[in-house]
Amino acid sequence: MSKHLKFLTALAFGVAAAGLVAAGPASAKVEGDTIIIGSAISFTGKYSTNGIHAKNGYDLGVKRVNEMGGVKVGGKVYKLKIKYYDDESTPLRTAQLAERLIKQDGIKYILGPYSSATTKAMAPITEKYKIPMVEAEGASRSLFTQGYKYIFAVLSTSEQYLASSIALAAEMAKKAGKKPSDVRVAMAFENDPFSLDVRAGVMDDIKKFGMKIVIDDKLPRDLADMSATLTKVKALKPDLLVISGHSKGAATAARQIKELKIDVPMIAITHCEAAKIVKLFGAATNDFLCPTQWAETLSYKGKYFGTAAEYDKLFKATYDGYRNVPYQAAQASAAVLVWKDAFERANSFDTEKLRQALSETNMKTFYGDIRFAPEGNNIAKPMVLRQIQDGKFNVVAPSKWASHKVNWPRTVPGM
Amino acid sequence: MNTRLRRTLPYAGLLIAGIAAPFLFPDYTFQFTVLWVMILFALTWDILGGQMGYNSLGNIAFFGVGMYICAVVQIGLYYDVAQYTASYGAVKVEFTADQYFTGLAVGLIAAGLGAMVFSIILGWVVFGLRGPYFAIGTLGVALSAGELTGAWDYVGGGGGIALPIYPGEPDDRSLFFYVLSFTLTIILFFLLRWIYLGRFGLAANAIRDDEEKAEGMGIHTMRYKTVGWAIAAFFLGISGALFGNMIGFIEPLEVAFPTVTFGLFMVVMCLLGGRGTLWGPVIGATLFHTFKEVTWIYLLGWQWVALGALIVVSVVFFQQGIVGWVKEKWPEKFGIAVDDRALAETDPDLDEAPSQRLRRQTEAAQ
Repeated sequence: MSKHLKFLTALAFGVAAAGLVAAGPASAKVEGDTIIIGSAISFTGKYSTNGIHAKNGYDLGVKRVNEMGGVKVGGKVYKLKIKYYDDESTPLRTAQLAERLIKQDGIKYILGPYSSATTKAMAPITEKYKIPMVEAEGASRSLFTQGYKYIFAVLSTSEQYLASSIALAAEMAKKAGKKPSDVRVAMAFENDPFSLDVRAGVMDDIKKFGMKIVIDDKLPRDLADMSATLTKVKALKPDLLVISGHSKGAATAARQIKELKIDVPMIAITHCEAAKIVKLFGAATNDFLCPTQWAETLSYKGKYFGTAAEYDKLFKATYDGYRNVPYQAAQASAAVLVWKDAFERANSFDTEKLRQALSETNMKTFYGDIRFAPEGNNIAKPMVLRQIQDGKFNVVAPSKWASHKVNWPRTVPGM
Repeated sequence: MNTRLRRTLPYAGLLIAGIAAPFLFPDYTFQFTVLWVMILFALTWDILGGQMGYNSLGNIAFFGVGMYICAVVQIGLYYDVAQYTASYGAVKVEFTADQYFTGLAVGLIAAGLGAMVFSIILGWVVFGLRGPYFAIGTLGVALSAGELTGAWDYVGGGGGIALPIYPGEPDDRSLFFYVLSFTLTIILFFLLRWIYLGRFGLAANAIRDDEEKAEGMGIHTMRYKTVGWAIAAFFLGISGALFGNMIGFIEPLEVAFPTVTFGLFMVVMCLLGGRGTLWGPVIGATLFHTFKEVTWIYLLGWQWVALGALIVVSVVFFQQGIVGWVKEKWPEKFGIAVDDRALAETDPDLDEAPSQRLRRQTEAAQ
């Protein structure tokens, strides 16, 4: 009996002690010669694939900056370090972790989470505490209409993701001797802030061309099955199929398009690279159109990673298992470079001075030009559309950046 | 120490801890706020799950319903909700401090009442189900509530709603929500203590032990179940409204109706602490929340494994939960020996089912 009591007492004390450790001293924003940046990102849950891509990008950026001499502030050289937490892919957790990073850990500089939903939960809190956040993975327009002053996004906003595929479909229709208004569009979107914003962009362009929407579906919450939509696609034979559902949605779409032998002249899907669909589904993904924030074939160049192609090479050499470097990783690395640049220009650790420096950012990087609008989004970099041609991602639109001609209608070898 | 003082001590301790926490550890106010919400989750789940033996997996629906009712009221008082949500929070709307606090006050009350009404209507439908059927039935309600909200454009669908932002300083905001959550949970706690001690507690336990027999003895079981669920829904609704405002951005699947996280956590916390007791949910929730916070920081990558292990250990070794287990090992520590003697005098036929009787005695004494 008393043995049990002792055990229980020990258990209670153990838990209490663990709690106290958790409540231990808050670490400072700058410790010795290290600048600590905080990030709550998705290690688990439905966005974990991209969360890990982003983390790899952050880590590579930090590694590179540290290797190339670190960050010079006030004549002293500092190293960068990131403190991570897992947000479980849910905004519920993000809000708690934001408080933890800022209040308990004393973090003064934030790198954004993955996905628009989590970034939307993070932004009001960083804003309240006046903590600048450079984010690379929250593209929803609504992030930049709230008058936030402490959010800086290196990426293009989400309504631009698939809009160019609509223009391309119109162009192809004209080429085939039809009117753009004859184009019949099938759409399937995840029911989340990001994809709904992508949808809003697509809808604007569809209206502009007067196209017909024949299917307008929502993907199920776990993004594991879209056969209902695809069965309708088989019956209705649209001219264009548009899908957006992060990596998991892209993988599901590619798998079921292959299984159900879906034959549509043009298919556009977000997050192709991140979902590694070429590696997983091979030739069945031929001629898919994939919007991207960045491509290794673009002629961008910067001090830290050299050209886009050099970044691509370095990333593949650093991390195993990547056939294509997802843009989520590239923009994460770019966000780290933005922080580095801001620290040096502000020449201070003061958050207000850093905010000012961030707002004046004007950089050329391997990821493209970075210049922030007063609302915080990057206005210096376009979104491009790539097509999977024989397993390779080739830029096909907009024409200024296109390296290859678009294949239309799409063909699948052996089908 | 006299018995009376010893009995009041834990309650006083809870109150003092709750009041002192944000002053002793001001940086942890947000975590403590979440802790009180977790305790509220466990306490409300236990009304049906512990006291009446109705294992609901769908109580989180009331949380989400409250959250959305409050959000719609807060915005709807001053703006057109459909217009506000049409562009997924892309419109910028300023709320004055007056508007914010009036909206929140009205919203909180509406959330509580709305969730309560929802629970009464729902009770009609699902209280005919028993055991696993009830569990699955309620789970279905919570899941479909999330899906339906996600398909409802008026409230922003899957794009969610950005809630008005607290007008004051960020630290005041943390304290503001802490005080509200703490007060709400303490009110619930003492309300439950009061009703468990009375006729309601006895009837609830009778329903758990044998519902047919309870009904045969003239207990209006449906009424008790409905009242119990309505109380749970009222408090869950308000907590949902508070939580939504703390998060600042709500959407149906992950924030408002998190069936597989919060929805299951409330069950696990009760099992861990000891279902069917007043203190069990409090202790279970505190342990669970602390464990989760600690592992999520120090065991990154293994956090879900650790949480799984905790659940397995608690289910295998502490089936009655911590409070239940401790009580069975040391009944005298809970003043049961005293009652035992008194009981022996009035009822010498004690050998029949002593442990059963003891347990019920203890729970009644709580």
